[in-house]
Amino acid sequence: MKSIWENYKTEVAYDELMHSEFQPRPVSHRLCQYLNSLNKDDIDKRKVAAELAIMEMGISFTVYSDEGNIDRAWPFDIIPRIIAAKEWRMIEQGLKQRLTALNHFISDVYSEQAFIKDGKMPGDIINSSKNFRKECVGIKPRHNVWANICGTDLVRDKDGIMYVLEDNLRVPSGVSYMLENRVITKRVFPELMQDIDVLPIDDYPTQLYDMLVSIAPLKNGRPRIVVLTPGIYNSAYFEHAYLAQQMGVQLVEGSDLVVEKDDCVYMRTIEGLEKIDVIYRRIDDDFLDPEVFRKDSTLGVRGLMRAWKAGNVALANAPGAGVADDKVVYAYVPEMIRYYLNEEPILPNVPTYLCSDKDQLEYVLEHLAELVAKPANESGGYGMIVGPHATPKEIADFRDIIKKDPRNYIAQPTLAISTAPTLCEDRLEPRHIDLRPFILQGEDTFVTAGGLTRVALKKGSLVVNSSQGGGSKDTWIINGEDG
Amino acid sequence: MLSRSAERLYWLARYLERTESIARLVSVHMNLLMDLPKDVEMGWLQLVKINGAEQVFHEKYTVANEANVTRFLLADASYSSSLFSSLIAARENIRTSRDLLPDEAWEQVNEMYLYAKNNLDAIASRRNRVLFLNEILKGCQRFTGLLSGYMSHNNPYLFISLGRYLERADMTTRILDLASLLLSESRSHELRQYETILWMNILKSLNALLMYRQYVRSRVNGGDVLNFLLLNKNLPRAVACCIRELSGCIHKLPNHDGLPGKLLALSDTVQAIDTRQTTQLELREILDDLQNKFGDLHTQIAENWFLQVSAEQAD
Repeated sequence: MKSIWENYKTEVAYDELMHSEFQPRPVSHRLCQYLNSLNKDDIDKRKVAAELAIMEMGISFTVYSDEGNIDRAWPFDIIPRIIAAKEWRMIEQGLKQRLTALNHFISDVYSEQAFIKDGKMPGDIINSSKNFRKECVGIKPRHNVWANICGTDLVRDKDGIMYVLEDNLRVPSGVSYMLENRVITKRVFPELMQDIDVLPIDDYPTQLYDMLVSIAPLKNGRPRIVVLTPGIYNSAYFEHAYLAQQMGVQLVEGSDLVVEKDDCVYMRTIEGLEKIDVIYRRIDDDFLDPEVFRKDSTLGVRGLMRAWKAGNVALANAPGAGVADDKVVYAYVPEMIRYYLNEEPILPNVPTYLCSDKDQLEYVLEHLAELVAKPANESGGYGMIVGPHATPKEIADFRDIIKKDPRNYIAQPTLAISTAPTLCEDRLEPRHIDLRPFILQGEDTFVTAGGLTRVALKKGSLVVNSSQGGGSKDTWIINGEDG
Repeated sequence: MLSRSAERLYWLARYLERTESIARLVSVHMNLLMDLPKDVEMGWLQLVKINGAEQVFHEKYTVANEANVTRFLLADASYSSSLFSSLIAARENIRTSRDLLPDEAWEQVNEMYLYAKNNLDAIASRRNRVLFLNEILKGCQRFTGLLSGYMSHNNPYLFISLGRYLERADMTTRILDLASLLLSESRSHELRQYETILWMNILKSLNALLMYRQYVRSRVNGGDVLNFLLLNKNLPRAVACCIRELSGCIHKLPNHDGLPGKLLALSDTVQAIDTRQTTQLELREILDDLQNKFGDLHTQIAENWFLQVSAEQAD
């Protein structure tokens, strides 16, 4: 019988589970032992069981196409990705530190702008940011926290170090898949889950709920919380419904809400209007309130900004928090940590060239074939170029794109991002992965134990986004002697 | 509770009840035809008729045979009241109401949908169709059971009940419509011979045979069966029982306005019926009248509680 590990290549990049074809890392020792005890048939059965569970649980995401929107089953790889608890504790501290500094920064940007006045960052970056909302100047959300929910993307380079790739501070998604992935793994590998001490993750909805309670404007009574979704056709609708259901709160659409003359937000219920205290909004700033932002938005609620400014309703994340979700601002996060917290950053940034800077732009244009260049404000892996994988023509075209709008482009060295064994046909092959932990900040700060591991299912691909052929894995943080 | 959610749950329940009714109807009809000689005039078209879908049916099919009618009623996604269409609509409604229901509720409906989708072709064979219908009936029962066991009997639950009982009352009158055909003066001598079997099948289609025997304690005959299925307040699928359930839900809901009065009047109307004295024509009028009243009741419920989308939001 052929081993599922045959020809497993570990020299492409750092492999999360394997030292080499034959030698697992200490964290994955037990998992590998277990996998080796299964024959191909057993593994197939488990793969099929996972696919069935995904179908039955209806875990899906929506893909937009010309033929209409298709609800696709969530692509899932049954082999978990493992991180030792010891390393994780360090990462967790780093993530808390980072979000704390980012929230200091956002508060600062909408008040004194001391960071800029002290010469730490050119003011132009903020003035030219399309996510800077002048309507938010002077507002003080509770606990001075603007970004309550953050999804930070981490990648491990060849040197084995975890780098922060970006901070998603607008409406980060993926947490429901992280939770569902664990449910599936428990169904598929019950024996294994029992033997290995994997940190639990299912308290996320509770933590999210507690965080939302902690930012409610009124201390007395139980605040009424809702999840605001753009609706059934949004690609993350599944997640909106899932989180609302898990927290036991209402899932609402813009047309369910109304702002009355008293500047309070109400929802239309069978008993008439009911007052809302906290909105976990999954709608971008642009569409939130046609009175203030995009006039043509039918997704939002007219007057919502008025209600928020009057302190009658809490919005998570706060409008304007996206100003720090900008790949140019990203480059300054290590400096923010030193400036606001007087600490050294625990998690390093990926070195970043800002095209807004003349010298750096020159370097980027010259070395584009070796770099990854991306727009400062896009998400989902759109509009970027991976130099080493691009044709000379594509590179030349991208140079022109950058030159037209240098402020909105950054470039980074192409990382050899780490791999993990992934089930492909009849054997395991290394595939590139990243990690998106979720951080909550209100009165307290909470980090998920692990996060969503996304995997580029196509051989050699570095793009992990589900809209572009990516899948996901369960992520295990393991305790004990192995960890 | 959001008005939008109330509306979705109400429709979820109606569509699931419809799914179950169609499955039950087709399955009973298959049994009935196995008992009857081939030349009796109880054809497949009757099933299309009681769903009021003759016109739609004839636009697509020429012959009302078993293959065509079962495909039309069970699998045709372009006929809005087919079993599969109802299941799709139920799934869409629950997909957008997951925040209010236990996880298992969504999974149950989703599983049923996937099962139906994967087995649509199999229903051409009679044996597979029997299995298919059984699976759907079980699925619907599981759904009802898990809601009753897992979910607080709160407002969302009440709207589910409203949808279920209104749809059920309506469906029972439609099945009785079918029965009224049996009372036709011009029915053949042949058919008269099989009347008991026909009435027993009507009872079976509403899961009421055992209850009928225990309650009526006489042989199965048309007048008694009709009375039992219209007036009995304890049989879950009897019209009077559905009205009693509806009334119970409406009383517990906020802002019920004039609805309790309406239901009281409806209940009185039903109790005044005595089918042992009616002709076939009168019976059909009574049933038509009831169906119209159920339609009115729906309008009232919608006006009272559902989201009235104004022009500005309709976009």
